[in-house]
Amino acid sequence: MRDQERGRRRGQGELEAQVLAALREASEPASAAWVQEKLGGALAYTTVITILTRLLAKGAVTREKVGRSFVWTAAADEAGLAALRMRRVLDKESDREAVLASFVTGLSQQDEEMLRELLTRTREAEE
Amino acid sequence: MGVFVFLPLVLPLTAWPIARLAEQHLHPRAAIWLLSAVAGVFAVCSTLCLGLLMVVGTAQLPGNPLPDGWSDPEVREAVPYDEVAGKAAIPALFAVLAACTRLVWRHQRVRRRAERALAGLPATPVAVLPDEVPYAYALPGRRDRVVVSTGMLAGLDSAERRALFAHERTHLARRHHRFLLTVQLAAWANPFLRPLRTAVTYTAERWADEEAAQAVGSRRTVARAIGKSALMSRGAPVATLAGFAATGPVPRRVAALLRPAPAGRIWPPAFTTVGLAAWGAAVGTTASALSSANSAVTLFLILHAATPM
Repeated sequence: MRDQERGRRRGQGELEAQVLAALREASEPASAAWVQEKLGGALAYTTVITILTRLLAKGAVTREKVGRSFVWTAAADEAGLAALRMRRVLDKESDREAVLASFVTGLSQQDEEMLRELLTRTREAEE
Repeated sequence: MGVFVFLPLVLPLTAWPIARLAEQHLHPRAAIWLLSAVAGVFAVCSTLCLGLLMVVGTAQLPGNPLPDGWSDPEVREAVPYDEVAGKAAIPALFAVLAACTRLVWRHQRVRRRAERALAGLPATPVAVLPDEVPYAYALPGRRDRVVVSTGMLAGLDSAERRALFAHERTHLARRHHRFLLTVQLAAWANPFLRPLRTAVTYTAERWADEEAAQAVGSRRTVARAIGKSALMSRGAPVATLAGFAATGPVPRRVAALLRPAPAGRIWPPAFTTVGLAAWGAAVGTTASALSSANSAVTLFLILHAATPM
């Protein structure tokens, strides 16, 4: 059950990337039906709409109303989408230091001054 | 037995001197192993002690499922102030277990979410994400990855970038997240172990810095890379009371890199001030870990003897 759930969630990340990739191949704003067809009809129409809406919330696509339905345009590439998703993870996790070893941590005012001084000394030593 | 049964709860205090000495004077690789092991032993003894105190405290409560023998007067005699201590141990133990479960759960969640965020990208060891905010992370997982933003790379020259990647790869190759998780769990199990968590976190960075310096062949380059990225990503200054603020980890790392490389030896020679202090601290910590384990085991044996066969 847990594995299924996890598989499904990871699947969502990949589906978002697939839908975005399909949309990026469109030469002009495309409808959800076009995206569905482009993906070989493997996804239900409602699923495509759901994924597009999620991408919209992340800022990876834009949409405009044409007639009675929406047409969609890609606003980011796959790396851009990953960046948007990564930022959400980092912003949400206040204690991400618990997990991800970050290259640098916060500086106090005093640290900053000391650091600038150290860097200046490095530069002088090299010259 | 007397008040000795409470020793495992307070003896972690005795690990503070060794934490400080190891952080400053041992090679980071030796220091991280030593401090993580010390933290782990103290945390296990402290939690075991809490658990046994809880058993003594609850065995006398009517209607509990524990063996009657555990509420015998001989058992209760072993624990001074058994009623108060036992009852206080119940919430304490639950708090420890809850905090540790929560920590592990969050740990898994961040890893899962970060992995999911990168789904759809080619499976490369380095993921460069277009983002102005400078950041760089080592992301352990089924496929270890270094995640770095274009904002971070933009501020560094090519040698500094190599230093950054070498640093993050060391975190992954040496499985630093396991040490960090161990000491974080230990810090939740007994708050007196928090200085060890700080020391191990710093030491993991130092270790990665040293390996990066070897990889790129220049200590100054690594120092510059750290300094520049810290100034880039400083954002809001960390709130500290200026007068009391100790020097933060980043300037200390840079300063350490501007000094010669630490000696490869594991332990400082005995007949120097540092060596004597290190030996003193090590002997003290070992004695304290042993008596901590001794108290936990004794309490366990008392309960075991009182268990009806």
